[in-house]
Amino acid sequence: MPPLLELHAVTKRFGGLVANRDVSLVIGAAEIVGLIGPNGAGKTTLFNCVTGYMRADAGRVVFAGVDITRARPEHICGLGAARTWQLVRTFGRMTVLENVVCGALKRHSRVAAARARAIRLLEFTGLASKENVLAASLTLADKKRLEIARALATEPRLLLLDEAMSGLTPTETAAAVDLVRRIHAELGVALCVVEHVMEVVMPLSQRVVVLDYGEKIAEGPPGEVVRNPQVIKAYLGEHDRGPG
Amino acid sequence: MDGSSGRLWARAVLGAGLVLALAYPIPLQLSGYTYFQTVGFLVLLNAMLGVGWNVIGGWAGQFDFGPQVFFAIGAYIAAILFVHLGWSPWLGMLAGVLAAALICALVTYPLTRLRGHYFAIATVAIWMIAQPIGATWEFINGSRGLFIPIQTGQGVLGAVASLQFVGRTKALGYYYVALGLLALTLFLARLVERGKLGFYFRAIRDDQEGAEGVGIDSRLYKVVARSITAAVFAAGGVLYGFWALAVFPEQALDLNWSTLPIMATVVGGIGRLWGPVLGAMILIPISQVMSTTLGTGPLAGRGIDLIVYGVIIVLIAALRPTGILSLPWGRWARRLVRTS
Repeated sequence: MPPLLELHAVTKRFGGLVANRDVSLVIGAAEIVGLIGPNGAGKTTLFNCVTGYMRADAGRVVFAGVDITRARPEHICGLGAARTWQLVRTFGRMTVLENVVCGALKRHSRVAAARARAIRLLEFTGLASKENVLAASLTLADKKRLEIARALATEPRLLLLDEAMSGLTPTETAAAVDLVRRIHAELGVALCVVEHVMEVVMPLSQRVVVLDYGEKIAEGPPGEVVRNPQVIKAYLGEHDRGPG
Repeated sequence: MDGSSGRLWARAVLGAGLVLALAYPIPLQLSGYTYFQTVGFLVLLNAMLGVGWNVIGGWAGQFDFGPQVFFAIGAYIAAILFVHLGWSPWLGMLAGVLAAALICALVTYPLTRLRGHYFAIATVAIWMIAQPIGATWEFINGSRGLFIPIQTGQGVLGAVASLQFVGRTKALGYYYVALGLLALTLFLARLVERGKLGFYFRAIRDDQEGAEGVGIDSRLYKVVARSITAAVFAAGGVLYGFWALAVFPEQALDLNWSTLPIMATVVGGIGRLWGPVLGAMILIPISQVMSTTLGTGPLAGRGIDLIVYGVIIVLIAALRPTGILSLPWGRWARRLVRTS
């Protein structure tokens, strides 16, 4: 079986700045892959190139055997790759339920069917008691949870989470990690989790990819990656021995 | 807890409103004071246009200041088909609505690359392009426009079929036709609001990137939203053209065909199905009543109605930007019940 997502030497430049340089990686069906790196390492840019919000200047992105390098976001969503955002993009003036219905309408064109599907997903994500609340008045943790529910409503095979846990309290983070595990175990969705907090990604991921200055500097099981000297250098900076 | 009683209240208000709307022109007809029937006609026409504008402006959240182009397209197409080919105005309305929606889709698709203010400016630009075309195109008689010959001596059914009411029952006839078209527009708008389109439009309004992320083609659905708006404006244009018995560029492309419905929508409640109806009931009579009552007085013809409009808009913008319908009517109604 071919892998779900393949990146072949993806490069993205903003003027003179190279945000991603020759990044290649593969995500298999039913995998949880952590994508980590310090701030500004190019994680979100890579996400945008995969999900159609930006176009790679060079390289190819293939999802489920289809070349999506130049595809539009809505098309990529239709193929089965859904995402969330670091800065949440919920539909603020719609209720929690209506937000998820918008996602479910991708697979059910009748509103009644989409609503039934959305209600099940609100139960799964623990938002059922807030279904009639306007999304704008939710807490950050609930907004991020709502984005996940809305993305799941499009019935993805791969879910890309862009810092779904940043800005949350330790309790909320633990709940979010638990939700990610359940999405993987119960729904069988592959996940790509972007975080810059190592403590969150390491226990969650089966495999970790490390970006630094737009380049992939390490890849492997979490236990191995944390001992990689290049990774330590990227996160802690080079130890300055001083002159002489 | 209050959902069912709220719905009951809404139904009661709706029922009373419908009865009032149906009965309104009758005493005026009996007393022979048909001028206020015409005011009613203009309220209904602008309410209908507002309901149409709400689709692109309220739900899809794209400010469109050029829907009067499609008002004119509808008016012209029905008038040409009637004058040259003898088509029934209702068939002409159907043709005008379809043509307006199609033309709208073609000109709007490129505009959807623009967002926010730039989209709004582009819709104005389309209107500015339409004006010289309307004024110089000989096929539609340029700035002289088209005159619609009166057909007299028809029965009630004949008058309805030819959309021509004359003499004492002119204002009465057009009032009820406008009421019927408004009801149809509200019914269709409600279907749109509750269906997939309503969800998709509002998703694009709230967050375009977020909407694309759940698989919504934002450009396609903006085009669909504006074409629905264009269709309503075209139908309104046909009605107005036959009422005025003439279609000419300065009249059909008048900026008021967008500003009045937009103001009505904003005052009543943008993004709410009944908002434009309430807004039109408040705003339209103001200018009509003022221009008649100030008649020959010292303030006549000084645009006092525009000043009043301005004050209302400023008050709404400052105190309740989401419109009058967004006030807590349900809570007030319950309090009223409890205290009485």
